[in-house]
Order: sequence, then structure tokens, then C-alpha cells
Amino acid sequence: MMRLYDLIAANPQLVYVDPATGQHFRVTDLTHTLDIEPRRGLAFLYIDNSIAAIEALLNFLDSPFTIALLSPKLNITYKQQLEQLYRPCYIYDPSRTTVEGFEATTRLFRNSTQSDYSIHPDIKVLLSTSGTTGSPKFVKLSEDNLVQNALSIIDYLPIQHHDVTPLTLPVFYSYGLSVLTTNSMAGGQVVCTSRDVVQKEFWEDFTRYGYTSIAGVPYVYEMLHRIGFCKKEYASLRYMTQAGGRLSPVLAKTFGEYTAARDKQFFIMYGQTEATARMAYLPPEALLSKAGSIGLPIKNGRFDISPDTQELVYTGPNVFGGYATGLAGLQTFDHNPVLHTGDMAEKDAEGYYYITGRMKRFVKLFGTRVNLDEVEAILKNALNGGTVACIGVEDKYLLVQHLGTLDGSAIKQLLSEKLQLHVSAFRIQQVDEILLTPNGKVDYTAMQQVGLAEKV
Amino acid sequence: MNATQQLQDIFAAALSIPAAQVTNELSYQSIPEWDSVSHIYLITELEAAFNISIDTEEVLEMSSVEKVKETLRKHQIAID
Repeated sequence: MMRLYDLIAANPQLVYVDPATGQHFRVTDLTHTLDIEPRRGLAFLYIDNSIAAIEALLNFLDSPFTIALLSPKLNITYKQQLEQLYRPCYIYDPSRTTVEGFEATTRLFRNSTQSDYSIHPDIKVLLSTSGTTGSPKFVKLSEDNLVQNALSIIDYLPIQHHDVTPLTLPVFYSYGLSVLTTNSMAGGQVVCTSRDVVQKEFWEDFTRYGYTSIAGVPYVYEMLHRIGFCKKEYASLRYMTQAGGRLSPVLAKTFGEYTAARDKQFFIMYGQTEATARMAYLPPEALLSKAGSIGLPIKNGRFDISPDTQELVYTGPNVFGGYATGLAGLQTFDHNPVLHTGDMAEKDAEGYYYITGRMKRFVKLFGTRVNLDEVEAILKNALNGGTVACIGVEDKYLLVQHLGTLDGSAIKQLLSEKLQLHVSAFRIQQVDEILLTPNGKVDYTAMQQVGLAEKV
Repeated sequence: MNATQQLQDIFAAALSIPAAQVTNELSYQSIPEWDSVSHIYLITELEAAFNISIDTEEVLEMSSVEKVKETLRKHQIAID
């Protein structure tokens, strides 16, 4: 079994481009450039999509280290809490000049104390499930998980050696990481950029380098739509991909028709970090006839629907090795290829899958997964036990119902700070009563009806 | 309230920052609060408040407080 790094290094066409300077780099230019001891241990990488960050990632992929990929925008308090809990050997974080208990070496901080705990040899990458809240809960992924998922994605996406692929999503996020791994293995030029679609510079780079694909979560498609993407022509563009939550039917149709009319392809995909990234994709030719479907399982993956609960259960070589919430979690790696997705699904006569609901209580906002029970706990804690109930409405916003005279904008502000999400993600509703089921629990299904009726 | 003050308030609310932090030099992505999400929200709020329609080229140009002001002036909004 080859390592992810070996498969990347074996791609003769691969070039990493730094649009800030216009410089091009071979993968060998970006490895063995950091002073990393040749041993096992944990490294924390706070990475954006810059060439320097990708260089740090490649250095560590070509080392025996286990790598935690983290958002560079994490609040400093969260960073320190995570570092105290996991005691990494190395930290990559250009935003800091010193880290207490660490020596600054060239572009890295090295722990002054030798680590005194072991890590299961199969854990290669740790990804956060939430991204922005500083939760210590990581998804454990092996080299095999990363390689197998990349190979399954390369099987259905039209990735080619003359592609020019911008990193439009953060690489500390599973979908963004998959764009990097698949294009590094099978693509051509990978443009290392943190510029986004509402910046003029992004579109200047688009023209200058001739981007061949765009990857986006639903929010990126909303922005593209807002800035009039479909009114223009993009000769170099061959395909677009979407994952990270459900795209609204209107946008799916708009972008589906736009791409189909121009001989381009649009892939709507389904996955979770627990499956490394990807579990299913909708073939572009079925996009309009199978509207709303998550499509078919990827190569080497299989879906089953649990007869009792309708839960969608995935089996494949990309299923993670369990969660870690602290050092104890780094001692184990479960080789169980079965993932209970928490989504309920149906399958049509032609084998296409449709998500019909969620068993777990969470909502995806701007591509970030938010646990609704945690939100209720945060609010109850902050409001001294005031009665509140939360639901997610179509992955568009989080609806908070409350009794009494709470200040709606203060609730929004609090949630925005705690969850690191923009205030527009929250709607606050004062109600006379929180609807309950006959056995006295909050009736979220009934609330959902209210939420949908409220929608503008 | 004059348009300049109104703009200041819209900025502060959209980015969830104190009004004093809204200076001409403040630019997109220079602070964590001014990201793509708050940017689109800001544009929507500006359109509603000043009853204007901001087109694609303008959205891409509005990369700092100063540039947002320039755009609004093009729409005949009296901004200092």
C-alpha cells in the first residue's frame, strides 16, 4: 500500500502555483524543506491555502507524523486549549511568533518537552468535525482512508493532467482536503489560494491561469448566483462540484442547466468527514432527471438502508477509525468499514438514493455542521435555564424559539460568538409555548412545519 | 440620520464590529469578521437600506470601506 505522499510525488505533471507571486513549484521543491525529526508524534498544522501552508502539509505527509489539520482563524484561546490537551510535538502557525513551552525553529514551533504518549500507527490525519468552535473532537483517518477515498473520487470526476484547479475550499476541511489530494494525485496545476469568489482577484486568477473546475459548498453557489456567475462564459471551465450540505433545488437546476447547455459537468455529491470526505455522487447526466438525489455510492462503497429506522448505512474502505476527544483516543484505530450516517434515505427503482431526513439533530450552516442539542445547551447555560428549542431549517438557518422576553439580537450575538458563524445564520422567534409531543419532549417535527411555513 | 452615519451602522451590524472600527482603510478579509458570508450580507443590507441594486462588477469592486463608499456615490447616495 503506497502512502498518499508517494502517490502525489508519482504524478509527473503536478505543479503547485502561488498566484501571489506567479511562481510554480514541483512537489520535490516543497518537501524536505522543514526541519522535522524522523520519528512518530503529533503535529498541529493551522493551515490556510497558501503555498507556505501546503508546503508544511506536504512536509508532514512525507514524515511519520500524525497531522491535525486546523483552521488558522481559530480563536487563540481555543488553540491553547487544544494544545494543552493534545501536547503536539510540532505546531505550524504563522500567526504567532512565540508559543509557550515551544522553541521556534524555521517556520515551526517544536515542543520543548519530549512527548510521553504513543499514537496508534494507523492514524495519519485528524480532522475537526466542527471546524470553528475549537471542539477537541477529531475524526481519525488513516493513510489507507485518504488514498482509497481519493482513488474513488478520481474514478468519477474528470480529473486530467492538464487541469488547473484552484483550492477554493479550506484544506483543513474534508471536502477541501479531497480537492487537494485528488488533484495532486491525478491533476496538473494546483493553484494555492485563499482568495474567494467575491474577490476581483479570484476572477483575474481564473482568467490568467484558466481554471478548469470550481468546488463549493451550498453557500459558495449562493454567492456565485448572487454575483451573476451564470450570465457569463468561462471557456476554460470543464466541471463544477458541490458538497457540504443540501443545495437548494432552484440553484441545483440553475447550475445544472447552465453547465449542461455548455457541455460542462456539474457534480452534486454527498459525504461526511467520517467517510474521509465522499460517499456518493450524482452523475451529471442524471442531475435534472434525478433532482434532489445524492446519486450513487462511489467506487468500492456500498449503501444499505436499515429496515427499522431507514438510516443510510455506508460501507467502504474510506470509513474512519473512530473519534478522538483526547490523548486516550489516539491509542486506538477501529478497522470497522461500516458508517451509520445519521441520515434517513430512500432508494428508487434505478438505484439512486435520496435523503429524506436526519436522525441526529444538526444543521449545516455555511458548510459547517452545528449540533442543535449543543446549541440548546449553550443557550440554556447563558440564559440561566430559560426555555428554548432549536431546529435547523433546510440547512439555511438555525431557528431558536423562546418563551418570554429575551433579547433576540443578544441571542444572535451570543450564538455568533460561540459558534463563530455570521449573525444572519440565526432567526429568533418568541412563542407562547414550545410545542411538545404527548410524552412531553419538544416536538421538533411540529417546529419544523412552523419553520418551513415561516420561510420567505 | 445622514447616509454616512447610516452606512457606518450597517457596516458595524453586518460585520458584528464596533462602529469605531469602521474606517475607510478597513478592507475585505483584513479582519476575520469581514469574510465572504458577512460581505454578501452587507451587500444585501446596503441594497435594502438605500433602495439600490448593486451589480456583479460592483460587488467585486467593494473590497474596502472606501470602495463601498465610491460605489454608493455612483448610485447618487450622499456619502461624505
